[in-house]
Amino acid sequence: MYTVHYMTPGTDNHDLFENLRLELRRGSLILAVLAALRKEHYGYTLRKTLGDLGVAIDEGTLYPLLRRLESQGLLLSEWREEDKRNKRFYRLSPDGKGILKRLLAEWQSINRSLDGIV
Amino acid sequence: MDLLDRYLNAVAKGLPEAQREDILRELSEDIRSEMEDKEADLRRPLAEAEQQAILKRRGNPALLAARFRQDHRSVAFGPQLIGPVLFPFYIKVLSFNLGLTFIIIGAIFLTLVVSGQNITFNAVFSSVLLQLLIQLGAVTLIFSLIQRHLNKYPDSWNFRGMGDGVHLDLKFPSDIKLAKPTDGQVSRFDSVSIIVASAVALVWLSEVRRHPFLIFGPAAYFLQLAPVWTQVYGPIVFLTSLGVVQAVINLFRPRWARLRTLVSLVLQAASLAVLGYLLKAGSWVTLADSAGSHSAGYSRAAELVNQCVFYCLLVAAVISVVQLALKIARLMRGQRNPSSLPPVDVPC
Repeated sequence: MYTVHYMTPGTDNHDLFENLRLELRRGSLILAVLAALRKEHYGYTLRKTLGDLGVAIDEGTLYPLLRRLESQGLLLSEWREEDKRNKRFYRLSPDGKGILKRLLAEWQSINRSLDGIV
Repeated sequence: MDLLDRYLNAVAKGLPEAQREDILRELSEDIRSEMEDKEADLRRPLAEAEQQAILKRRGNPALLAARFRQDHRSVAFGPQLIGPVLFPFYIKVLSFNLGLTFIIIGAIFLTLVVSGQNITFNAVFSSVLLQLLIQLGAVTLIFSLIQRHLNKYPDSWNFRGMGDGVHLDLKFPSDIKLAKPTDGQVSRFDSVSIIVASAVALVWLSEVRRHPFLIFGPAAYFLQLAPVWTQVYGPIVFLTSLGVVQAVINLFRPRWARLRTLVSLVLQAASLAVLGYLLKAGSWVTLADSAGSHSAGYSRAAELVNQCVFYCLLVAAVISVVQLALKIARLMRGQRNPSSLPPVDVPC
């Protein structure tokens, strides 16, 4: 007795691709957020800036990520009033600047290697 | 309360308490900024549907809240049964149920000790273990069903019919041809809940007759249910089954909301009659044959249990009278103002 497993090309391949795409994006998002925060932003403008530059990120991903990076000491934040509303502004911390520099070097090195492979 | 507040309230329920206020302020600011941007583009205030669209795009509040939690624990026996989104609620419900059950078990054993019975460690342990397993099994089963639904339909939530929040809207595969819910209809979630709860109650009712241990614990050695319970057993099973039939009909015909109103009224009145009959009985537990030579101490325990049952039945009857009066008042208000009544396309 044996069983034949059929694979639905559309659905299964789509799910697989989505999982791999998300995995690939995860690391890049951290780099993009750190790089964008060399200039001070509050959440919404950061999300818009990244979106306009082609790195769309939803708030369910961005805000937990900002909190994590802040708790790791890579970001600084403060609540401040702007346009009569309180907003939380984020910027890169001195530690964050150092880490970003090293991450960018790593990313460029990976890119060079990948270019050679692909 | 506007849509945004309702959405944020729903998110708040799943956020870690220590950061709740901070996260909500930030999320609120983000959403308001997006709405203002949109209003500036359109040069007019947003309509409710447009606000809803913005919030819908942000996704299920429970899923959004879960992403802010550090706690990613889950329940899995092989495949994951309860994921990180529902896990905190699962723990809360389980703790509440177990806490309540253990208070009741504690009260029973205390009564037995006060009445001079010998309580062994084995009796306490087996009783606690049995309750633990029952509660764990039932709560885990219910939450794993909700998790399955959430996995299948993560975007299945809406703002409809909730005063201060949002709720999951149970959907079924289109191939079983269920009507789509709209306002004034019986929610499928309600119907499924009634069917599951009533099925569990029916199984328990049938088992408790054969295994009095399920209700008395170790006291089943010397206590048994009085004959009055045998007399009301049939009516109780019939009424529970009637509730199941109504829920099954409403599951496939959610527009027959008047059916639920009528059946609910009948069930409430009949339950009150059953409670009245039980109250008249005067004795609800008696000594089992196995009580034997220690019957003096056991009689005292039976007397105490009977007193407790009396007060419980009395409270249940008072609550039932109030509920019945409220339902009748609501029905009469509905008769005077037909627009507030559910649709009337019930087959007669």
